[in-house]
Amino acid sequence: MLCPMRRPLRSAGDLVAGCFLFATALVLVSPAHAQVDFTGEWSPAYHEDGPERLPGPELGDYMGMPINDNARLRADSYDADRISVVPEYECRPHSSDYGMRGLGDLRVTREINPATQELTAFHTYMPAWGSERTIYMDGRPHPPAYMAHTWQGFSTGVWDGNTLVITTTHLKANYLRRNGIPSSDKRTVTEYWTRHRDYLTVVTYVDDPVILTEPLVRSQNWTLDPGQKTLRFLCEYQPEVPAAPGAVPNHLPGTNTFLHEVANWYGLPYEATRGGAKTLYPEYRNTMPKPEKPAPAKCERFCVCTVLLDCNLHAVPPR
Amino acid sequence: MRGPLLALIAAASLFAQGPPGPPQPPRTAKAAAPVDFTGYWVSPVMEDWRWRMVTPLKGDFASVPLNGEAYKVGMAWDPAKDEAAGLACKAYGAPALMRIPGRLHITWKDDNTLQIETDAGTQTRLFHFNAKAPASEPASWQGYSAANWERPVRGEGDPLNGAIPIFSTRTGVRGKALEVVTTHLRAGYLRKNGVPYSEATELEEFYDYRTAPNGDPWFTVTTVVHDPRYLNVPFITSTDFKRQRDASGWNPTPCSAQ
Repeated sequence: MLCPMRRPLRSAGDLVAGCFLFATALVLVSPAHAQVDFTGEWSPAYHEDGPERLPGPELGDYMGMPINDNARLRADSYDADRISVVPEYECRPHSSDYGMRGLGDLRVTREINPATQELTAFHTYMPAWGSERTIYMDGRPHPPAYMAHTWQGFSTGVWDGNTLVITTTHLKANYLRRNGIPSSDKRTVTEYWTRHRDYLTVVTYVDDPVILTEPLVRSQNWTLDPGQKTLRFLCEYQPEVPAAPGAVPNHLPGTNTFLHEVANWYGLPYEATRGGAKTLYPEYRNTMPKPEKPAPAKCERFCVCTVLLDCNLHAVPPR
Repeated sequence: MRGPLLALIAAASLFAQGPPGPPQPPRTAKAAAPVDFTGYWVSPVMEDWRWRMVTPLKGDFASVPLNGEAYKVGMAWDPAKDEAAGLACKAYGAPALMRIPGRLHITWKDDNTLQIETDAGTQTRLFHFNAKAPASEPASWQGYSAANWERPVRGEGDPLNGAIPIFSTRTGVRGKALEVVTTHLRAGYLRKNGVPYSEATELEEFYDYRTAPNGDPWFTVTTVVHDPRYLNVPFITSTDFKRQRDASGWNPTPCSAQ
C-alpha cells in the first residue's frame, strides 16, 4: 500500500489528494542528505612529493614550509634514531592532518541514523598507524578547549555545495613533515573534500600559530579502488639500534652536520631548503642564492618514485 | 498498484514543476557561472618545491608514473638543444602550466570563453563553453579546451524535487566546479627537466573554488594527465591558488628551457 488511508476512498481524486498530502508531510520531515558520497576504498596518488611521503623526507628538507624560526630550530634538533629507540616515538601515530599527506590508503564509511535516514557521520580508516577518525555531520559543537586532545582530533563537517568542509580541533602535537618539522596542539585544520568522477581531492589548510607564519595549504589526491583491501596495522615497541636507557637522540643547536646534504644532493641553494614563507612565492626565484656546491650532473637519490615498491634510493628505470 | 502510483507521480510532478513559463534563451557561461574565477591569482609553492621552483636535475623523475620509454626520452633531455630549436615552451604546455610558479590573470574573453593568462612563459589558455574542437584544430602548447560548469551529481538531479520521499532522490545539488577537457596538445614536458608527454595526451581538470577560514578566496585545480604513450597510469596532481587583490607581482616573462 503506497499511502495510508483512514477512510474508504470515494474517488480517484481522493486517492491523489490523500497521497499528495502524505507525500508533502513526508517531505517536511525528510532529512538533508549527503550531497556527495565519499564512501569506498580510495587509493592514494603519490604524484606529488613522492619521496617525502613514501620512504620519507631527507633530513633538513624544509622546502615549501612556511615555518617560523622556532620551528626550524626544533626541526634541526631532530635525529632520525629517535623513532628507533624512544618508545613514545616508535609507534607514534600520524595525526589526521599529516595522515592525509602521508601514507594514505583510505577507507571512508558513513553512518546513517536509521530513524531519520540522516547522515550523522563519516568514518575514515587509514592502515598507517591504524588511524580511525570520525567526522560528525550532525551539527554538534566542538568541545571546550580544555577537553582531551587526540591524534585524530575532533572533526565536524558541513556542506558547501558539493564540497565537504571539515574543521578539526583538539589535535595532539605531531609533525608537519616527518623529518622533525613539528605541529603544535594549538592548530586548527580545515579540509575541503571534493569528488569528481572517481577522483577524490582533499585540500588541507593548517593554521598553526605556534609553528607557521601563514597557513600551510596542500592538496592530496586519491582514485576510487574497489579492490583495495585495507589491512590492520601492527607496531611493536622494540629498540632497533643501540642506545643508553632513556636517551633521546638529538642534535644540540649548531651541531647538526647533516643539514646541508639535501641541498648538495639535489643542487639546491641551502637557504631555499630552510623553508619560510618568502621561499613559497614566484619572486623568490629572482633573489634565490646560488647553490653552495656545483649541482650533480644527474639525480642520484630517489629519482624514480611513485609507489613504495619502485621508490628506490638508486634509480631503477621503470618498465 | 500501477494506477495509484502514476496518479501520485503526476500530482507530485505538477506540484514540483509549477506552471510552464515562456521559453528562455540559453544562458551564457558567464551568466551561469556559479562562482567568480576572474582576477589575479598566485600559487604559494607548498608542494613539489624541488621540482617546481627550480629546474630539477636530469633524471629526477620522482612522483611521475612514467614508463620505460619516457625514462629514456627524459634522460636525453637537452635544454640548449630545445632553445636552439625554438622549443623553449615545451614545459609550458597545458598539462604542466598550472604547476609552474607564477601568477594567473583570469578574465572572460567573451560570454562563453574564459581566458587564463600566465605571467610565467606568457601563455594564454582559452576555455570554450558549449563548444567542441573544430576538426581542423592544430596541435598547440595549450591545445583546445572544452569547458562546462559542474553538473548536478548523477547528471539529472531529482526530477520531482524530493516530492515523493518513498523514492530515493538524486541529490541534484549544483556544484561550483569548472570542468575542462583539453585535447589537440603539442608534445611537451610535464616538468622542466624533460619528463615527456605525447601528442596523444588528453588532459582533464577540475577547478574547485572555496573560501578559506580567514576569508581568502582560493581555488584548487585537480589535473589528470592521460598519456597512453608515456605514462603507466594517469598523472594526478592538484594545485592551489590564492586570489590577490590586484596585479601585484604580475611579471610576464618568456618561456625558458633552462
